[in-house]
Amino acid sequence: MHILGISCYYHDSSATLLKDGKIVGAAEEERFTRKKHDTSFPINAINYCLKSQGITINDVDYVGFYEKPLLKFERVLSQHLEMFPLSLKTFLSSMPSWINQKSRVMRAIRKGLKYKKDVLFIEHHLAHASSSFLVSPFKKSAILTADGVGEWTTTTYGIGEDIDINLMKEVRFPHSVGLLYSTITAYLGFSVNNSEYKVMGLAPYGDMNRKTNPYYKKLESIIDIKDDGSYRLDMGYFTFHYADRMPSKKMCKLLGGPISQRDSQMTQRHKDIAAALQLITEDILTKMLNHVYKVTKCENIVMAGGCALNSAYNGKILRSTPFKNIWIQPDAGDGGTSIGVASYIYHTILGNKRNYVFRDAYLGPKYSTEEIKSFLNNNKIGYSEFNSDAELIKTTAKLIHDNHVVGWFQLGMELGPRALGARSILSNPCNQEMKEILNQKVKHREKFRPFAPVVCEDDSLKYFECDKPIPEPTDFMLMVYPIFKEWHKKIPAVTHVDGSGRLQTIRREQNPLYYDLIKEFGKLSGIPILINTSFNIRGEPIVCTPYDAYKCMMGTGIDYLVIDKFLIKRDDNPQDIWDSEKNAKD
Amino acid sequence: MSPFKQFFNGFKKGMRSFGKNIAIIIDSTLLLIVYLVGVGLTSILAKIFGKHFLESKISKKRETYWSDLNLKKKPIKAYYRQF
Repeated sequence: MHILGISCYYHDSSATLLKDGKIVGAAEEERFTRKKHDTSFPINAINYCLKSQGITINDVDYVGFYEKPLLKFERVLSQHLEMFPLSLKTFLSSMPSWINQKSRVMRAIRKGLKYKKDVLFIEHHLAHASSSFLVSPFKKSAILTADGVGEWTTTTYGIGEDIDINLMKEVRFPHSVGLLYSTITAYLGFSVNNSEYKVMGLAPYGDMNRKTNPYYKKLESIIDIKDDGSYRLDMGYFTFHYADRMPSKKMCKLLGGPISQRDSQMTQRHKDIAAALQLITEDILTKMLNHVYKVTKCENIVMAGGCALNSAYNGKILRSTPFKNIWIQPDAGDGGTSIGVASYIYHTILGNKRNYVFRDAYLGPKYSTEEIKSFLNNNKIGYSEFNSDAELIKTTAKLIHDNHVVGWFQLGMELGPRALGARSILSNPCNQEMKEILNQKVKHREKFRPFAPVVCEDDSLKYFECDKPIPEPTDFMLMVYPIFKEWHKKIPAVTHVDGSGRLQTIRREQNPLYYDLIKEFGKLSGIPILINTSFNIRGEPIVCTPYDAYKCMMGTGIDYLVIDKFLIKRDDNPQDIWDSEKNAKD
Repeated sequence: MSPFKQFFNGFKKGMRSFGKNIAIIIDSTLLLIVYLVGVGLTSILAKIFGKHFLESKISKKRETYWSDLNLKKKPIKAYYRQF
């Protein structure tokens, strides 16, 4: 049985194909269209999923959509009714897309895909909850979902048992911890639904002490947080329910200045505001999780929704709550809801047993050696071919050890916002200058943002103060842990200002070549850790095809590209096909 | 390309852009009417009768802001609906 899950028209459109309960293909549309956070109908992702299994849309038994569009429309209409006449501008700008696109999901599926069988719709937060619980290793688990907003719900908790999910309680729009985070993100001059993780990275530069951070009390005063973690925002400080600008004038007054301009210099004030926001978010989530534990009496917790991508907090959950085990899948934001709806249909609605745990994120397009070779030959690209995996590993490790920046293209493309060793840029974390080099050569990103380390799972406890046993979400770069002090100066390029690292752990069975490369680098440097950053430049989605990878390398300062069993040296090929500086934007 | 073809292509492009602009003006005008008459009147009436469409008030007296959801498995028919 094939089930196709679809998520689109808000942000991070995606498609997932389930075959007899197992995910056999999943990808976000942005990787194909090259538009970051693409919202359009994921026709390319769907085509990829179908093609990867050699089937057509006629072979799909059910199509599932990740939300109830008319319920969402009711909420949008309620916002306009409540906020008349302030909502005029957003009414005029948002209604055409509702009329032409968002309310015509069935038409897109029926006509766009030529699909004639059943189409099912499930609630947005149910899709989030399913995306985490039904593919988790837990038979029974507490569930917490928190994001900007779905139809009406912004936060839910409940319990999952075998194939059933019961979301018991909710917090409803306009009160949303996700939208609070997005509002301050906008206030600090970053883009909403994109740069929240930058604010998370900025926070440790600020004052992370609740007593001395001047903005903590201010932000605390505009949220009423109850002991059970439920909360409401003082809506006088927000405008997201009627305007496209999120913080109100009152918020600007509270925080002592106007909304920051894009790409403006981050001052200590900005850093303290980011820190205060992170602290408040952690307060809310901790109270909530403690309450969820009290209600469910379950030691396992699964999380989903944009807030579950707050890796800085995720690393603290098992230490600050009674939960013993945690699970989050790598695409915990809206992109992952296509997994949720497909899994919910197969298991909960149709009553099939669970037979799959999400451990392999390499669910996107992959290319055979022959396909890659013919791409290189057809485009007259100069390359050399490795005779064996051992040679590939030895040569690549040496290149990285010699401080070269290496593009790494192997296996199927990762699902979710993080590169996990299939479409990665790898470099030497022991070099003090490497952060600067990467920023200058490739990433062009804000100086305050840290780079992430990747370490073999069996080595991680030597370098990182992880929970024991190491939670599986660490494999998906979803947990930040402190780095032991003795290593701070030895791996400066991946040690954040607060001494933490957003590590990825890798197990050999997940990606043997990647694992062996890290081990080999360890033999050369004495430290089996690499910098792993996504294979893209700022403002672009992660690369998908060999063409994207080659283009990215040639337009940046990536020195080498290791693609399948081929090595391409940038200097051996005509350059400047693509001006990455020109394209680097938020 | 012949001058005639060039002119014709330019004319087609111009007409398309003109059409788009006209569509935006008409759409905006119609939406403005809908907003003022439909949304506006309903909103004013609702305000007169004290009806709120969003629960936005903070209440220090309340012990919790969690509200019941009880979202669990329903008969398959319910999932065919978009609401």
